[in-house]
Amino acid sequence: MDLVSTARPKTFAAGAALVWRWQRIVWWIFVVNLILARFATRGMVEHAAPVLNHSLASERLVNGFDVPAMLELVIQPDSPLEAPGPAVFHYSVIFAIFMIFATGGILATYVFDAKPTTTAFFEACGHHFWRFIRLLIYLLLAFIPVGILVAICGGIYNRIEANSDSPYSSFYFLLAAASVVFLLLMLLRLWFDLAQVIAVADDETRMHRTLRRAASLLWRNFGSLFWLYLRISLLAWIFSALGLNLWMNHLGRQSTTAAFLLAQVIVVFWTGARLWQRASEALWYREYQATSVTEPAVSPPPTIDPAPVPYISAMN
Amino acid sequence: MVRTSFTIFFAAALLWSARGVWGPQLPVANNHTSPPANISTNNDLSTRVVAYKIDAKLNTSDHSIDATETLVYRNLTGQPQQTFPFHLYLNGFQPQSTFMTETRISGTRGTGPDAGWDDKHRGAITVSKLEVEGAGDLTSKMEFIHPDDDNVNDRTVFQVTLPKPIAPDASARFRMTFHDELPEVLHRTGYKRDFYMVGQWFPKVGVWWKNAWNCHQFHADSEFFADFGTFEVNLTLPQDEIVGAGGDLLSTADNPDGTKTVKFHSEDVHDFSWTASPHYTVIEDSWTGSAGPVKIRVLMSPGNMPSAPRYVQALKGTLAWYDQWIGPYPYDRITVVDPPHGAFDAGGMEYPTLFTAGTTWFMPKGVLAPEDVVNHEFGHQYWYGMVATNEFEDAWLDEGINSYVEAKSMAALYGQDTSILNLPFASASNAQLMRIEYISFADTDPISRFSWKFINDDAYGSVTYGKTATVLLTLEKIVGEDTMRAALHEYFLRYRFKHPTGEDFLKTIEDVSHRDLKWYFDQAVYGTRVLDYDIWDAHSDRLNWWQKEAFAKDSSNEIHRTYVTVHRKGDFILPVDVVVKFDDQSSVTEHWDGRDRWIRYQYDRRATLVSAQLDPGNQIWLDRNSFNNSYVVQEDRRAIHKLQNIWIFGSEWLSLLLSWVS
Repeated sequence: MDLVSTARPKTFAAGAALVWRWQRIVWWIFVVNLILARFATRGMVEHAAPVLNHSLASERLVNGFDVPAMLELVIQPDSPLEAPGPAVFHYSVIFAIFMIFATGGILATYVFDAKPTTTAFFEACGHHFWRFIRLLIYLLLAFIPVGILVAICGGIYNRIEANSDSPYSSFYFLLAAASVVFLLLMLLRLWFDLAQVIAVADDETRMHRTLRRAASLLWRNFGSLFWLYLRISLLAWIFSALGLNLWMNHLGRQSTTAAFLLAQVIVVFWTGARLWQRASEALWYREYQATSVTEPAVSPPPTIDPAPVPYISAMN
Repeated sequence: MVRTSFTIFFAAALLWSARGVWGPQLPVANNHTSPPANISTNNDLSTRVVAYKIDAKLNTSDHSIDATETLVYRNLTGQPQQTFPFHLYLNGFQPQSTFMTETRISGTRGTGPDAGWDDKHRGAITVSKLEVEGAGDLTSKMEFIHPDDDNVNDRTVFQVTLPKPIAPDASARFRMTFHDELPEVLHRTGYKRDFYMVGQWFPKVGVWWKNAWNCHQFHADSEFFADFGTFEVNLTLPQDEIVGAGGDLLSTADNPDGTKTVKFHSEDVHDFSWTASPHYTVIEDSWTGSAGPVKIRVLMSPGNMPSAPRYVQALKGTLAWYDQWIGPYPYDRITVVDPPHGAFDAGGMEYPTLFTAGTTWFMPKGVLAPEDVVNHEFGHQYWYGMVATNEFEDAWLDEGINSYVEAKSMAALYGQDTSILNLPFASASNAQLMRIEYISFADTDPISRFSWKFINDDAYGSVTYGKTATVLLTLEKIVGEDTMRAALHEYFLRYRFKHPTGEDFLKTIEDVSHRDLKWYFDQAVYGTRVLDYDIWDAHSDRLNWWQKEAFAKDSSNEIHRTYVTVHRKGDFILPVDVVVKFDDQSSVTEHWDGRDRWIRYQYDRRATLVSAQLDPGNQIWLDRNSFNNSYVVQEDRRAIHKLQNIWIFGSEWLSLLLSWVS
């Protein structure tokens, strides 16, 4: 099969439409994340509430945010804020594992653009779970050269910092290095996301083969795919920055409800942006499969039926 | 140390008229101008025990200094003196020194306890020759001593015994040839690339104090102690170096070999430090106070110029505040050194008429770190520079008093609650951060402990700075702000250009306040008791509680018994006020002496409890936990919701990040 670029300018918008069409997925992931976050903070609330709810000193946290007041709470011998740190990390790990599990069903929905039944959805989740775990292992291995690069950049940074009279030199280097590392990480993410899409679309069981195919596709369509991902990421960052600016600088100091809602809007958008990337990639691959040709032809190319996937057909 | 303080002072007409008594107003020469016409030494500010004359040459190729020193020591001890101890501080920067050994155990500024040894941090001062006029070459008579420990490898103090004693009121003239090896910036001094900050660099004689020589070894958590006198210093260094020093620049002369020799003179000071870099940008300004004009010279490093106006503004504000609150600044100059990036460890340090500040190229205006460091380090011109306490044994007298004054002056200049952090979404006051420092080490060491004997470096910093400031803030509430201000002013006037002790300071407060404060000082200064009161319980109950809702329809007539139990959790005893408020708008104020462990108040009235609050005026800064000082019946969940929002958001973000990775 000839791997000709089939970049579609409308994939960016079509991906958003796909996410919107199946927005219940966005809400579902958001709700799971919120519930886990609530659990993560429960310990802190249980310890801190008896202290704060009946103390006049808590006004210092309500009217503005008095940093020493927060520090005073933290450094008390029996600090009510001592517990929550590990819990936050643990629940975040649980969410990450949940997302590995749910990705199979999500991608199946996007790839086949069909309304899934609950059974079919979770069948897809389970069907691909261990494949994605194997992909995760490959991804962690792929992170190693990036880690080496980060360490090398760190050494160069220290040398510049020590030898340069100007404080800007090291900062500019840090900025450049961070940008390169960020783009590399995005590239890796794009590659492995595409591998996941191929695994679902083609029901591929061999992940190394999937990775090779994804790498080949990415190599030949790098510009369009990377730009697709980057645009969505930039939108997500811009929106988050605006939201945080609004939260920190323009909301009333005592506001809790508005602050909570704004924070959750930011989270929803970030979740949606991530799924937007997945949907766009799934759409791209689906259209690639539909339009890819083996020889030049005057007549319209033959239609290629997607590979039969028994558990997905149950959705229809 | 890295602290900020500032003072504002204004002098009354009396002080203005007394300007002429305070000594010569030496005009400051610019580079390459001729020296002033006359230098008068008739109106000394201090008792000048020492007169140093140093000729030094900086070797930039190997970061060393070759120098000769002539020290004329006036024996004002009242006794014949035959043995003289000297500090050699730079020898502390060696692996087996007491300084390094203590750093290895408990850390020091800029260095953690497990920091490994790096040879670039090696420093040394070697006295190759020592002669005494009338006694000849006594080089072989030099012996290293260890007055503080048995570390035979420590060479930061040596003593020499003269063949014959020096009679009282006579002078001894020492001539020394010495060589400095400067470390890469470590613990305030050294070089970084072509920047030099040179402090504690010459053999410095000890102080005869309390009828004995006081000449401690250099410790990880000690500073310095020396006698007042004069300094004449000739520095020879490359012509492209821009030099700053704690003295008046008298002359600059170019030498044929590409060097130049700059001559400085300083009087009524107890130390001399200097800095050099070819990359400084010099900013000159001036301020006029009750003692006359003060020339301000700021040496800015590359990249930090945006902080220059902040430095100058903070310095002027601090000068004015000190002039008004404490007393006049008698010198005609002050130099501010901005260390370059990578040399931050040279920042935040004080020397007579010169101090180092510290900033970064990106410093938001709402983060008042540059202002804070200028304020604090200038404050040391008073607490240490003029009121020259023993920083080894009474570190709290300079750092702690300075920190208290810093808290007051920063609040006056930049706002009570925003004096260190002033952002739209967060704020912090300097005084409250001092209190946080204290809380973090509330019970380990008394503030009067010798500086090198604290449990670790963090405790030294937290207690000498934070706890002392908090003790004084609490004391201010006890005696009144005006009295405290008067006491500091009196303390300054009594002991400027002298070496007071802690007892001198505390007695001054008692004298001015006309109160016996021993009960407070014993606990706060000499003890480690922790102050913590809490509302143990507060609730209202129906008086006829056994009757079932007998007066439900007319509950306003029902009598309630309200109990408020106040508990002293800590061992520090301090009288405290308790305010109890009821739902009929009435309130009661109780005054408890705090001697017993707890006390219970009981009220019978036709009203129920709304709130009980200890220390309603927030005067007891020493109370370790302000969150248990009150109880409000009506729950207010806004604070917990706010914290929970932030925590949930953070957790969700972390989850999304981890899922992105996986």
